[in-house]
Amino acid sequence: MKCDNIRERFPDYLTGEMETKAKAEFDAHIASCAACGEELRKLGEIWTKLGVLPAEQPSPALRDRFYTMLEAYKNGLEAEQVRTERKPKFSFMLRQSWLRRPAFQFAAAGLLVVAGLAGGYGLSHAGGRVSRLTQEVESMRRTMAVSLLQQPSSSERLRGVSYTSQLKEPGRSTLEALLQTLDNDPNVNVRLAAADALYLFASYPEVKEGLIRSLAKQESPLVQSAVIDLLVVSREQRAVEALKALVGVEKTQPEIKKKAELGIQQLSF
Amino acid sequence: MNDNQLMEDVRDGRVEKLAILFERHHVALFNFFLRLTGNRPLSEDLVQDVFTRILKYRTTYQGEDRFAVWMYKIARNAHIDHLRKRKETVPLDEQFEEAPSAELAPDERVAKEQESALLAKALSRLSPKKQEILVLSRFQDLKYREIAELLDCPIGTVKGLVHRAIAELGDIYAKLSNEVCRHEV
Repeated sequence: MKCDNIRERFPDYLTGEMETKAKAEFDAHIASCAACGEELRKLGEIWTKLGVLPAEQPSPALRDRFYTMLEAYKNGLEAEQVRTERKPKFSFMLRQSWLRRPAFQFAAAGLLVVAGLAGGYGLSHAGGRVSRLTQEVESMRRTMAVSLLQQPSSSERLRGVSYTSQLKEPGRSTLEALLQTLDNDPNVNVRLAAADALYLFASYPEVKEGLIRSLAKQESPLVQSAVIDLLVVSREQRAVEALKALVGVEKTQPEIKKKAELGIQQLSF
Repeated sequence: MNDNQLMEDVRDGRVEKLAILFERHHVALFNFFLRLTGNRPLSEDLVQDVFTRILKYRTTYQGEDRFAVWMYKIARNAHIDHLRKRKETVPLDEQFEEAPSAELAPDERVAKEQESALLAKALSRLSPKKQEILVLSRFQDLKYREIAELLDCPIGTVKGLVHRAIAELGDIYAKLSNEVCRHEV
């Protein structure tokens, strides 16, 4: 195969977009042609070197700007839909001159009553849309919170935790993400923030279960203390066993043991 | 749900699904712009611009292309519009902001950072077209076929440009490295 044909395939070789048969021919030529081999070596070197350019992270402001823009767009879209559905009936009718003639006065009055009813119906529909919009914004917040909780930067994860506090209905995925953060986050501040956020959802059965499991995994006294508080607040009787187990662990700090014992008393009333 | 299904939902009015597409793509888009401009605030503005345009043109989405190809078409347009605006005030040669100076510091720990600064500087000296095609093929996870579709040109042209762009980048990089070595001596 000619050198020109081989050189045309250099880009395919670099990105690995080459079929096995073509690759075998290509390799055979490169092994026997010093000029092509040298050129490929140079290209490959700089192609590989480009890999050192790091992937950067944008500032948190970008995410905030996006969500603000999306909410505004969504609000505008809903408002526009409500307007276009309510407006045409009236404007069309008012433009009709025959409606002003005396012979149609009674009919016009009747139509106005109908239009009034239709308007009222439209408004009640608008109310339905507003509630749907609220649900969708809520769903958007849930998506954002879960996504933030998975970010590599701890400040982003903290923001994720604080987003969950704006949720009325957290949904299973948010609760799972929060519990996972409480169990596994490498940063103690993020784990503590997750415990605080779970306070709002302490009445959910899956949160109670998760907190009981989590207590055995926690090693930081600060987080242990926060989880004990939560278990007491949740009035979960099954937590008594978990608290007793914590008291029984030798390395548990004395003040935490004391707190756990107090918790056991409070839950036993 | 894959990207195309999500974008079809956005097209059909469930615009809140754009949040998932944003989470999946905004970092890659940010790096696309950052490698082309070397300017962080500007790159963030351009990412925001892309998602604003996606909403604006959502009803034109056909779902035939992979979503990423359609998104990068929009990203290119956002970048080109930005360059046009700059053209009015900035001479052509200075449209691209150079990466920070790559003068070598003595500490070996920063060798890698210097290498990437030098590469970024070399990249910024390529023509906009070569820069763009190199970034698309090396970093944005797009096949040559998709890049050809994106740039609306034959696939052979794309490969030829990639070949020439890498060769030129290699020459510029070697030249810059020599300058730095001379500076050190």
